[in-house]
Amino acid sequence: MSESFSASEMYTWMEEGVPHLYLDVRNEADFSRFHVEGPQDIELLNIPYFDFLEKPEETVAKLDASRSVRVICAKEGSAQFIADMLEEFGFGDIQWLAKGIIAWGNVLVAKQVPTPDHYELWQFNRPGKGSCAYGLIHKGELMLFDISKNLEFYRNFARARNLSLVAVFETHLQADYISGGPSLASEFEVDYIAHEGDFSSSNVTYRAVVDGESIGFSKAGGPSVLCTHSPGHTPGSTTYVIDDKYMISGDTVFIVSVGRPDLGKKVVEWAKQLYATLKNRISVLPDELMVLPSHYTDWTKEANGDHLIINDFGTVKALNESIYALASEDEFVSWVEANMRPQPEEYNRIRRVNANIETVDLATAEELDLGKNQCAASQG
Amino acid sequence: MSHNDEIDCSGMSCPLPVVKSKMKIDTMNPGEVLKIITTDPGSCKDIPAWANRVGHEMIEEAEENGKYYFLVKRGE
Repeated sequence: MSESFSASEMYTWMEEGVPHLYLDVRNEADFSRFHVEGPQDIELLNIPYFDFLEKPEETVAKLDASRSVRVICAKEGSAQFIADMLEEFGFGDIQWLAKGIIAWGNVLVAKQVPTPDHYELWQFNRPGKGSCAYGLIHKGELMLFDISKNLEFYRNFARARNLSLVAVFETHLQADYISGGPSLASEFEVDYIAHEGDFSSSNVTYRAVVDGESIGFSKAGGPSVLCTHSPGHTPGSTTYVIDDKYMISGDTVFIVSVGRPDLGKKVVEWAKQLYATLKNRISVLPDELMVLPSHYTDWTKEANGDHLIINDFGTVKALNESIYALASEDEFVSWVEANMRPQPEEYNRIRRVNANIETVDLATAEELDLGKNQCAASQG
Repeated sequence: MSHNDEIDCSGMSCPLPVVKSKMKIDTMNPGEVLKIITTDPGSCKDIPAWANRVGHEMIEEAEENGKYYFLVKRGE
């Protein structure tokens, strides 16, 4: 009988470049909607499990029995079934992904961002989604930004370091994943801090952030969080500048591209807001600020050598020169319109869940939450 | 539409609905229709994907009271 591996192990193999052959046995439609991607290129094959049932010898012959093969499916049943079959065919190093692709979609990887010694900043990367949350720590207090619904991860993170949660921030009403912010804030009886531009018509309990306000820790000497309203991707998008050194940029500034302003179906209005935001509120920030975005699309372009999604704002502007150099509002709107593409159909429902206008059971939440983000205004 | 044979895969999870359906339809003649009943949500995509990929014909798909019903005509 073949053995299982965990989604976290899979991330580690990818980061370390372990040369496994990954075999995804789901149907082609589900595979094309969402599949495993990691910090380094991997060898990934999609052969639906029913091919192995229908023509076992012919299908198995497509694989090299001397390779270590890691089998992936939706839940785990089919992966285990195929792994056992491959073992019977004489494959020596076969394992299957425990709890399936959803487990991969929920993996979080915590990495520390280099900071001055008196505080800590953590990036919580969710490779299955291409999204990042953040944690800021000063003298036993923890602030969280843009967290996903994997609350147990954040509880454990705080408990293991003996931290008390003091605030949960949201950069904007997320459309591509279900936020864990309101639940965790309510559980720990701390403020859920967000902008009324996105949340005034929601059923979420929140503390409205004010443009230009600075939010700090209770003990003296900690880093400040300067809140800068940066509408465009959404009307309430807010950028949090930490200690004049880091920009938690939400879906406003990405390492590659900027946040798409067409998700709210008011593309011209929001694109104009985004143009004004980039020109008047973001471009004026210092080049030395380190950009920490909510999303990324391409590891090779957006991660640094330590697999952190980070770069300095000067470099970010240079990487996206064609966007930042657009000379007029009209040109910017035209560029947005030229790069528009459909948004995944589940985004509207995720927004409703994040605004607490609709509640869903866990299975529906997992299904809605699966898939890579489509938040950037341009691709490739 | 009428069918020639039926298999009830209620309560089975992936990959069993496809495994059992394949074994059943292999015993039938080309052109005959198999009715498949499942409860696993994963089967809604997998049964049609399997049928189309291996040369059977999906004739009907329906959902009622948490059960999924499929009519698959055996290919040549």
